[in-house]
Amino acid sequence: MQRGTAVADAGPADVMASRPAPHATRTARRRKPTSRGTLGLLLLALPGVIWFLVFAYGPMAGLVVAFKDFNVSDGIFGSPWNGLQNFAYFFSSGDAPRIVINTIFLNALFLAASLGAGLLLALMLNEIKGHFTRRFGQSIIFFPYFVSPIVISIILQAVLAGVGGRGGMVNNVLNVFDLPQVNWYTEPGAWPWILTIVKVWQLGGYTSVIFLAAITSIPEEVYEAAAIDGASRARMARSVTTPLLLPTLGILIVLGVGRIFFGDFATIYAIVGDNGTLFPTTDVIDTYVFRSLRTVGDFGTTAAIGLFQSVVGFVFVSVAVLVQRRVDKESSIL
Amino acid sequence: MSLIASGRTQTITDIEAETVLNDAPPKKTPSKTRVPGRTRFEPFTVVSYVCVSVFGLFCLIPLWMILAGSFTDESVLAANGYSFWPAPFSLAAYQLLFTGQSLINGYIASLFITVVGTALSLSCTASLAWVIARRLPRISRPLTIFAYIPMLFTGGLVPLYLLVTQVLNLSNSWFSVILPVMLAPFLIFVAVSFFRQLPEEILDSARIDGAGELRVFFQIVIPLSKPILAVLGLFYAVTYWNEWFMALLFISDPDKFPLQLILQNLISNVTNAATLPGASASQAAAPVYQLRFAMTVMTIAPILFAYPFAQRFFVKGLTLGATKG
Repeated sequence: MQRGTAVADAGPADVMASRPAPHATRTARRRKPTSRGTLGLLLLALPGVIWFLVFAYGPMAGLVVAFKDFNVSDGIFGSPWNGLQNFAYFFSSGDAPRIVINTIFLNALFLAASLGAGLLLALMLNEIKGHFTRRFGQSIIFFPYFVSPIVISIILQAVLAGVGGRGGMVNNVLNVFDLPQVNWYTEPGAWPWILTIVKVWQLGGYTSVIFLAAITSIPEEVYEAAAIDGASRARMARSVTTPLLLPTLGILIVLGVGRIFFGDFATIYAIVGDNGTLFPTTDVIDTYVFRSLRTVGDFGTTAAIGLFQSVVGFVFVSVAVLVQRRVDKESSIL
Repeated sequence: MSLIASGRTQTITDIEAETVLNDAPPKKTPSKTRVPGRTRFEPFTVVSYVCVSVFGLFCLIPLWMILAGSFTDESVLAANGYSFWPAPFSLAAYQLLFTGQSLINGYIASLFITVVGTALSLSCTASLAWVIARRLPRISRPLTIFAYIPMLFTGGLVPLYLLVTQVLNLSNSWFSVILPVMLAPFLIFVAVSFFRQLPEEILDSARIDGAGELRVFFQIVIPLSKPILAVLGLFYAVTYWNEWFMALLFISDPDKFPLQLILQNLISNVTNAATLPGASASQAAAPVYQLRFAMTVMTIAPILFAYPFAQRFFVKGLTLGATKG
């Protein structure tokens, strides 16, 4: 959850994992190691296995806290049980619908915008002639992916807020056109769109690189045939490239939907922080969990929300994985 | 030796194939008068150039704004909050940063987290991935599932927080930033799929020469896998360099703050000049906004410098899957 771009991260690996591997070496690989060799290999795997046990499976076991009235002195397993009280507390607080709706709405918006921008950019980058020029363009639009959320937050303040709510680049531009100034950091309605623009800035180039890679694997003959039929470049992009990119797009959508229940904590928290005015539109499950952990310190309830998120998220991811398997079988043309 | 050489020739032929592919369109230019699809100045092509350029500017302008702002005098920044040209030019923020201890501490922390973290991540990822890729009966398959489940289900924040602070007692240690994000299942599977494409003949010939499993891994697999290790290492390194959430959770001692956390403190404590790096001497006159930009520049500088050399690896890592299909 700390990886803001996990949605997109999952993309290429699963695209790849779902492709059949070259069969040439598959049978030969079955060569059995000696028992001493097996021991060596087990030793090799050991550090990774320990890490998974402690940092991936340990916290899963620690989720029992969600059913407990946790206090530090008794520890995770010593604290008394309190059944479903933690869940009842969360669902009766009135925050639940808001943060669930925000999480899904914002993530859907981010997904649609970054995929749309990535697809368009890839189609357009594909028009750029010259290896060097295209590489150069690609490098520039890919760079924001490596900018940390905190830096994005600083940029955004300079663009939107300036100093103490007055000034800022956008307001100065509005000023030129005689439009009223907006105090952006007190306008919750604008923030889903501002965050979407940030996401496009951050992920547009990254997504386009994935699409562009898929474009390069389209055989040249298809375009030659289209050219003989008199298709313009625009027509080729629309009627040849785009349909051939649909499987890639489909997989990215499915994976994105699978991650829809996990908010992009880092970016949203770095930008919004503890600015309560913006919570109505920007508070997602992850930021809510983090804030209640910090301010209230109620481990039980917070863990309950986390468990709720994990379970619903698990359902989404599993469905996404199953759908992706099916989709991918049908689209094995690529 | 010959093994490595053969691996290298393969890469070279790959690159040649790629260049041939990329050179193909220019070769066809003579025929462009006949084939309408190949003309250079079609409307869509022109629109594409314009749009990509505009998006490129959209990506670059914020970064330029920060760079220019970091050299602009506080008086301008305090009125507008930004600047596009460093006039009046001022080095005040950098002077403050370099006289204070904070920046150096931040760099030490970030470098430690990045270097140690990447080394740990890379070695664990590669070795676990190799055991999975090796397709051992009764071992590799369960390991795959073992590493896959955390991609589907996570314990969430609270148990992790309790684990690090109560069980492992890692608060205020840089390892509390490294360990929780040390392995990315996604990158393990990237490594697995690369390892499975290594030519089996080379590994077999080493085994026939009497090399044990560990020797095959360290002396054949690792050298042959340098490209993928570079990709994975870079992805891990960027993650560690930008990691801020774990530091926010677990590190409270300002002397141990990594750069990202110092930056975040600059945002939240913008009015509290005393907490600014190096501001102790002249608290009243501290150029708050300029300092913020200068600190940002110092934070992204390493990525910015490494990017021209590293970006082809990133692109390669991303496209590894998509193009193989």
